[in-house]
Parts: sequence; C-alpha cells; structure tokens
Amino acid sequence: MERINRFKFVLWCILGIASAVAITRLIFGLGATTNLTDNTPWGFWIGFDVMGGVALAAGGFVIAAFNYIFGKKKFQPIARAAILTAFLGYLAVVIGLLFDLGLPWNIWHMVIFWNPHSPLFEVGWCVMLYLAVLFLEFMPVILERFPNLNILAKLHHTLNKIRIPLVVLGIMLSTLHQSSLGSLFLTMPYRLHPLWWSPIIPLIFLVSAICLGLMMVIVESMTSSYLYKKEYETHILDKLSKIASFMLLFYMILRFSDIIIRGAAPFLFVSGWGTYLFWFELIVSIFVPLIIFIIPAIRKNTTILYIGAITGVMGIVFNRLNVGGLTHLNNLSGIGTFYFPSWMEISVSLGVVSLAMLLFFYFIENYKVWDNKPIDLDSGHTAVPKFNTNYVYLGTTKVTNRIKFTFAFVFAFGLAFAAISGEKVYGEGFHKTPVTKAKGGDTLVIDGNRDNYGVQFKHKFHSDSLHITCVTCHHLNKPKDKNTQCFECHNDMYLTGDAFRHDWHTSAQGANLDCFKCHKQGNSKGKEYLHNMKSVTDSCTNCHNDLIPANSKTRLLKTYKTVSYSDAMHNLCIGCHDSLIKSDVVLKARKPDLALCSNCHIKSQPYRKDKIIFEGVQKNKWVVLPGRIK
Amino acid sequence: MDSLLEFAKGPLFRFSFAVMILGLIRVFILSLINGFEAKSKAKDKVIPKNFVTKLTLGFILPIRAFRVKPVYSFISILFHIGLLLTPILLFDHALLFDNSIGFSWLNISLSGTIASNLTLFTISAGILLIILRISDKKSRFISRKQDFLWPLLLLVPFITGYVCGNVVISPLTYKTFLTIHILSGDLIFILIPLTKIAHCVLLPISQWITARAWKFVPEAGENIEKILGKEGQKL
Repeated sequence: MERINRFKFVLWCILGIASAVAITRLIFGLGATTNLTDNTPWGFWIGFDVMGGVALAAGGFVIAAFNYIFGKKKFQPIARAAILTAFLGYLAVVIGLLFDLGLPWNIWHMVIFWNPHSPLFEVGWCVMLYLAVLFLEFMPVILERFPNLNILAKLHHTLNKIRIPLVVLGIMLSTLHQSSLGSLFLTMPYRLHPLWWSPIIPLIFLVSAICLGLMMVIVESMTSSYLYKKEYETHILDKLSKIASFMLLFYMILRFSDIIIRGAAPFLFVSGWGTYLFWFELIVSIFVPLIIFIIPAIRKNTTILYIGAITGVMGIVFNRLNVGGLTHLNNLSGIGTFYFPSWMEISVSLGVVSLAMLLFFYFIENYKVWDNKPIDLDSGHTAVPKFNTNYVYLGTTKVTNRIKFTFAFVFAFGLAFAAISGEKVYGEGFHKTPVTKAKGGDTLVIDGNRDNYGVQFKHKFHSDSLHITCVTCHHLNKPKDKNTQCFECHNDMYLTGDAFRHDWHTSAQGANLDCFKCHKQGNSKGKEYLHNMKSVTDSCTNCHNDLIPANSKTRLLKTYKTVSYSDAMHNLCIGCHDSLIKSDVVLKARKPDLALCSNCHIKSQPYRKDKIIFEGVQKNKWVVLPGRIK
Repeated sequence: MDSLLEFAKGPLFRFSFAVMILGLIRVFILSLINGFEAKSKAKDKVIPKNFVTKLTLGFILPIRAFRVKPVYSFISILFHIGLLLTPILLFDHALLFDNSIGFSWLNISLSGTIASNLTLFTISAGILLIILRISDKKSRFISRKQDFLWPLLLLVPFITGYVCGNVVISPLTYKTFLTIHILSGDLIFILIPLTKIAHCVLLPISQWITARAWKFVPEAGENIEKILGKEGQKL
C-alpha cells in the first residue's frame, strides 16, 4: 500500500492548498483570486472544471452503453469503476462551478426561473439530472453493503430493475449536454478563433467527448491498477484502445473537413498564437494517441499505451481550455487584457480533482467497485507493530494515514494561505455599482417624440399592483430593444378597426353582392390585373356617395380600415381643436386649453392646472416635467 | 531587519495563524475519533458517564483544584486570564489582523494602560508558576524538558511586547524587540496544536478520552499504589 498512500499524501497536500484559496475566493471574491476580467469572464474554471470535467466523465455513459445496451459483457469488470468516475467527475463539475459562479448561492435559480432560450439552461438541467441518474446507477454498489436492512434491500432490488431505463436516460442526457456545451460558443463567431469556431461545434464536442471518455477509462483503470499493484486488465484495455482509435480517426476527419469546408484552411498555416495552439492541441489530442492506438504491436506495450491515453486526455482537455478562454479575441488580437489563469485558479481546479480522486479511492477500498477489493495487509487487529528506533510508530496504516494526511492538509493550507498576497486579500476589490430605483421613482413621464406632450406611466402601480416583474418589460432580450414599448401589452392602443363588413356585403342576407362587383378586372399603369388588386378595386365611395360629408377634414378614403383609437383621438380631435383655437380668437380667450391632453385626461396629474398633487414629486430630480405646462 | 519584520507580520503570520486554527480543529477531531475507536475495540463497553462528566466539569471549573492547591490554582487562573485577554484584545494586534487577514475587532480592544498592567501580571504569574513547578517535587518529577520550555517561550512575546510598548528605547532596539516579539508569537501559534498547549481545546474532552481509551476504574489514580502493592514506597 506504499504507492497509494504516498499518492494520497500528495492529494491531501493539494487539497489543503485548494481549500485555502477556495476560502479566500468565497470571502474576498473572484477579483482577489482569479485573473478573470469583464473582458474575459470565462476562463480556466469554465474551460477545465466544467467543460473538461463533463467531457472527462463521458467514460461513464460510453462504457454503460457498451456494457448494458450493446451487450459487450467484456467491459463488465470496469463498468462500475467507469460509472463511479463519471459520478465523481460530475460532482467535481458542480463543485468547481460553485467557485466560478459570481453568486454561487443562487445556483438553484435555473430550476425555478426558466430561460429556455439559453443553451446553458439546458446544460444546467442535464448536468443536474445526469448527476441524479449517475447517483442512482451507482447506488446499488453502496446498498450491497447492507443486505440485512429491509428497506435498503428493497431499494437495491428496485434500482437493479430500472437499471436499463436509467442507462438509456443517462446516455440521452449525456449526448444532449455534451453537445450543448459546444452550442454555448455558437453565439461568439467573432470572439473565438476561426479554427475552433464552427457551426458544427456541438457535434465536435460530442465526438471529442466520446474519444476522451474512452481514453479516460483507460487512464483511470491503469492508474488505479498501478497504485494498488493490481494486474492490468490487458484484454479490456486493448479493446478500448481499438474503439478509441476509430473514434479518434472520425474526430480527426470531422475536424479537418469542417475547417476546409468552412474555408478556414488558410489559418492552419498562418503564424500566430492561435495556430500554434491549434497544432499543439491536434498533435497531443489526436496524432499521438491515434498512432499509438491504431498499431496493435505498439498498443500491446502497457507503458506506451498509458502515455498515449494520458496525452490524449490532456489534449482534449486542452481543446476545452482553448475554446473556453485561451483563443478568444482578447488573447489573439491584443485588444483588452491577455488572459492566463492565475496559480490560484489552477490550484482550486486541481484541488477539486484531488477531492474526486480521494473519494474514488475511498469507494475502491470500502465498496465492491472492483470484483476483488484491494487488501491492506498492514491493517487490522492482527497487524504486528514494527519497532524501529528510527521511526515513531503511529499505529496501524489506517491510523497513520489519518494522522499524516490531516497534518499534510493543515500544513499545505497554511502555506497557501501565506502565499496569497495580503494586498489582494485585504484589497477592497471592485467598487459596487449602486442599484437604485427606476428613474422617475413611482411615476414616469414618457414623452417619446419629444413634443412636450407626455404620458404618465405609473411605474409602481405596474410593478406592485399588477404583479408584473421587472423582467417583463426590461429584459426581453430582443435584439436592439432596451425595454418593452407600452403597446406590446396595451395592444389595442394602435389597433386599427374594420369599417367595411366584408362578409355582410357578400352574404345573401346582407347586400348580396358578387365579388366582381367591386374587385374588377382592368388595367392599371399599363398592366393587366385580375380581381385581387387594390388599385383596380372600387372604393366605398363608389356606392356610398354621401359617405364623406362636404365639410369633413377627411377627404381621401384609401382603405376601409379605420385609424386606431389613439390615433383618432390624438390626431383627428386634437389637430382639429388646435386649428380651431388658432383661427377663433374668442374661443382662444375662453378655452385656451382646448387642445391640451388634460381636457380629456382629467386624472392626468402633470397636466392639471392645480399642481398640488405633483408638488411632492417635484423634489425628485428624476421626474422630467414637460415644458408646456403652465 | 525590515524585510524580516514584514515577512513575520505578513505571510509567516498568516501561515502560523492558519496552522493554529486548523491544527487545533484537527487535534480535537482526531482525539474524538480515537475515543470512539477505543470504545469499539474495547471488550468492556461500560463507561461511568456521570463520574466522567463530573470530573470533566471539575477540570473546567477548578473548584476541586482550589481545595487541593489554592495558591497554585489562583496564580494559574490569573496567568490564563492575562494570557488570553492581552494578546487578543490589544489594539495593535487587532490592527495586525486587519492588515494581514482582513477581519478585526478594533472596536472592542483594550486601552494601553490596562493592557500593560495585565501584561505585567501575566509575566509575574508565569514566572511564579515556573518557580512553583520547579520547587514542587511531584511536579518536577512528572515534568519533561519541554514542559519548562513552553511556558518560558510563552513569556517571550509578553516581555518583548511590554518593552516595546512601555519602555523608551532606541529605534533599532525597538525594531529588534518587535521582530523577536512577532517571530516568537508566530512560533507559538505554530506550536500550539503540536504541543501540550493544545489543552486549550482538548481540556473538555481529556477526561472523556481517558475514560474511554484507558478504561480507568473511578479513583484508580489514588488507589494505584495499593493495587500494585507499592504503598509507601519512594517515587
């Protein structure tokens, strides 16, 4: 058990460092710990923890599919370990995400406040559901330990029964969100380097995740075999690497054909940060593992197979990092700040991975994940204390580990806490933008066309009494639209009416007219028209001669649609009254406000002559009063 | 000297503070685990709960100790009060916390006079305790080298701190004293969870651990000589 204990010691050290940084991040915020800026809000934590982590855990659904759906029972011995890896991987994703979210305590919001337009919404739901599915898939391993408890045994039985539906659901959710993580980047064609941005980036993500999942299962199996001094499962590894080679080949063809068809091929040979990253990624993620996996003679050698698998894993995780932040516009063009993760970001990510690994080892040692549990010869009551004058005997391996690991954790925590610069910890961080009430306070005067005739908008009434949330008007996310216009809710404001009753005119009970009575065949501007053109159709006045009175202001009748209610009032009535006042001196002296809004809108306070009600609001600097009020 | 002072005030202080807090939690949890494991391994699982509780409470509220050794107990209590109150509530220390860790209690800190008086009390009580420890034969017998060293080390920051705060000295000497003050404080912070000073958190469960782990019969200590048949012999 020497190897595994030494490895665990290192993991505990990393965990200690990460915990110190994590606490600093939670108390003092992202600014104190990360190199993220407003220019690059997504960085290492999204690239590695979330996108890399989700892809790393793809082994779970790939192996589950092979084992339970395609009936490849060859993979049975590693199925449980693969599912456990996937479960812990997703757990790591969720924990990592909590550090990256600005307000991590609001993570439940996506469950209640739906935004079905966002790919991230789908990713969130899928990750949540898939984590639950993986938990249920792994539950039987835990429940096996308690065969005597009646309820747990029943639960175990039920879970075994619904295993196939669970696996199917898991595969469905996996394919959904593995690709959706790529969809997130569809919206940034001008931000991402053209070698990575592609309209089929969801498909690229899915295929690369399957490659990564297969290679990760190889790495996980070989690493744990090495650490626990177990024999390598050579026949399974051989099979896995063969499948992985096919998938990698497909991935390579997909990647290059996508680049060539899109016309981005010239970028392959331009010198620059983006191109170097691309070729490095391709060599590490595709070429090296592909060459190793595709030749049977080479992949028989376990060391070389391990090297191939681990380079492949790192390469595809590197792909996620590239897409997630390293190849964005600011890094490529020098606009804004150059982003490279700080040591604190990297240490938190490594700490989350260490935590997942430690949990993995815990389950390996205490539950039947493998067919045979690893046996610790040094532990148990039968162990004989070794008396060596050079060393202090701390107890059995279990006790020794407990003492050593916690000490390593505490010491590493202290070192990391010391290394975090005091200025950053003590720093005031970013100045908060104060959130104030909407401009205008309770009542707004909306004067869209700046003619000094405004409409009073009771903001408080709308938000409180009508139970309309802010989002209803202010965040519709429509392109080029800052907030919702009044008419989008009050949609009858500008609704035109229909003065011509078409059905009545054609029906036998009504005017009983033939279609061609009005819709005549004829020519207009030298062209022959059939019956459907407006220009060759009779207007209402053709029959109704007395429709327009002699002294009417309206002379022309272009359409049988009437103007909307507000247009009728505002244009026709007010326009007429205005001209009347101008011409009639007596009327102007007696009723000077005849054309003002307050003539009809009696309750409209800003336009009342007695401004007593409005005096209190006048002190509020936000209320803009129209100039024409006397 | 300046860079050393900055190092001791900044990173080293943060390191030692983190090690102290987490180390104490670690020691406490490890002791608890050991206590539970001891019972699961033991054949005789009966524990005199009432007796253990009484003994533990007796340790925390030293009424019993007052009856046995009134002078020693009184000085010890004085020493502990000074030891805890002065370093924690001093204004300068609160400022140090504010500058290096980011939180502090500047509002409730002690005034200079009370603090310096308390420091003098603590120093004298500490010296008296060491003298009593040496002078008493039984105490001397059960003491190891480090049991004399740690109390002396505890006094170093108090003495240097008093000198810095109340004695008029040259700036260079002041800086030397201040550096020794902070460095010794950091050293004590690191040593707290690793030495017997950890009794500050272990005291409430020490009797509980002993009862569980060693299964001592009540009053076993008093009767051990009789049971072993070595009554009246030289220690």
